[in-house]
Amino acid sequence: MALLELKDLSLTIDEHKILQGISFDVEEGQIIGLIGPNGSGKTTLFNVISGFLKSSGGSITLGGEDISSLSPSLRAKRGIGRVFQNFGIFRDMTLEENILVALEALPKDQQKELGDLKEVVAGTLDMVGLSDSGKKKAGSLSGGQMRLLEIARTLKAGKGLFLLDEPTAGVSPKMTGQVADIIKELKRSGKTVLIIEHDLPFIGSICDEVVVLDVGKVVLQGTPAEVKESKELKEIYFGADPTT
Amino acid sequence: MDFIWHIIAITCMTIPHALAYNLVFGKGKILHFGPIGVSLVASYAVVIIAISTGSFIAATLVGLISVVLLSLFLAWLSLRLDQDAFGVMTIAVHLSILAVILNWNGLTRGALGIPGVPRFSFLSSVQSFAIAAAVVSLLFVIALRLIDRSSFGRQLQALAEHEWHAKSLGINRTKVHVIAFLVAGLGALATALLFPQYLAFLHPNDYQYPFLVFFITIIVAGNPGSVYGVLLSTILLTVLKEALRFLPLSSAVMGPVRLILFGIIMLAVVYWRRDTLFPKQRSI
Repeated sequence: MALLELKDLSLTIDEHKILQGISFDVEEGQIIGLIGPNGSGKTTLFNVISGFLKSSGGSITLGGEDISSLSPSLRAKRGIGRVFQNFGIFRDMTLEENILVALEALPKDQQKELGDLKEVVAGTLDMVGLSDSGKKKAGSLSGGQMRLLEIARTLKAGKGLFLLDEPTAGVSPKMTGQVADIIKELKRSGKTVLIIEHDLPFIGSICDEVVVLDVGKVVLQGTPAEVKESKELKEIYFGADPTT
Repeated sequence: MDFIWHIIAITCMTIPHALAYNLVFGKGKILHFGPIGVSLVASYAVVIIAISTGSFIAATLVGLISVVLLSLFLAWLSLRLDQDAFGVMTIAVHLSILAVILNWNGLTRGALGIPGVPRFSFLSSVQSFAIAAAVVSLLFVIALRLIDRSSFGRQLQALAEHEWHAKSLGINRTKVHVIAFLVAGLGALATALLFPQYLAFLHPNDYQYPFLVFFITIIVAGNPGSVYGVLLSTILLTVLKEALRFLPLSSAVMGPVRLILFGIIMLAVVYWRRDTLFPKQRSI
């Protein structure tokens, strides 16, 4: 059974059709890349899945449960973890507090499973090489460090489905490698990931399947190799080839 | 010497309300401009019931119920309105409560106020008021410090910094806002139990907008969200307010002078701290 099922999902705002009949499944343990030109509806789709925008039609099923009517915080409690394009960390809080606040928002039984939360915090900071900066304000970190902290926090908060919105955006090339390593670690540990990226080689190296969006519709779906070779992808990004 | 005790009493009676309001306005960055309205409801509920029944237990209970109901209403509004609209609405709530109290002469005596407010038996002197208020203040300082460092405090701060990011972690905004407004209401109630008894008189003029300006100045000057900062600014600004009485000015001039002074303090602090007072919401 698919972990996440999107069926005929649509979103209309002020008569503008932002999403139109989006349907695809994400199997447990899969990494699915979501690509498409700017304005194709990728981040909007994430906002609908995580509950920040209410869909105009269709349904979202997570682990067999219809979550379409749930609030963002309840969807998070059901296991949807989100990494935002613009660094979803709290800059006025310390690094330790940034991780702790995520762990404390988990249901009590999950908190118990994690054990001593302070140890989890220390382990998370260690994982991203920020053990010495726990008491510092998160706003003092570089873009790459913020991204690593955000992904590691989401990972430790025990989410089942990860929505990663351009995790390498604003990250130095050196740090991009570290981000990729963490995402690969997610895959090894059997987590399910839906990732938006513009870096096609990066997507090709980590994803099982790629979904291509254009003007709010799914226009292509397949393995990274299939999508890379397709004529439709080239048309979406570069326009129709006048020689053909 | 009595003046020193008076300053201690006034300062310590202001602390619970200021610290509790700081939780919503300072730490939560919620544009709540109605704390004096809550205080007004609490004070009149306590005093009217205390006079009519002679029972402080009943008066406290009714005060508590009225504060809880009003706080829940404000929390409900905060969850349904944008920040700016909520700010305007809380001003309207304060104004409406004031209008009801000024015009419901049969119950509140309107603009005449209520004289002869009964006192707890142990509050017979300025010293006893100062000591009782200091004990209550100490309890509020400890409680607010614990709240500040608790998971609730972190969740409130996370929501203040970025609502979407906080919600995506599973933080329940409704629960956090309700608790914050209830705590703020309890601070207002603590002050409402002591202040009218201290003056032995309850008058709507003591709950007008200059008092809102005073509370906002306290929080802004003390660094919004900081328990110790707001505690220190409450002490300094209350002492300053009371010390102005020594200036050779008529009572007609004293009020405006105070307002101008607190306006200047607020202007200066907001100017110097303009980048840190209210974090910028980042778009998704």
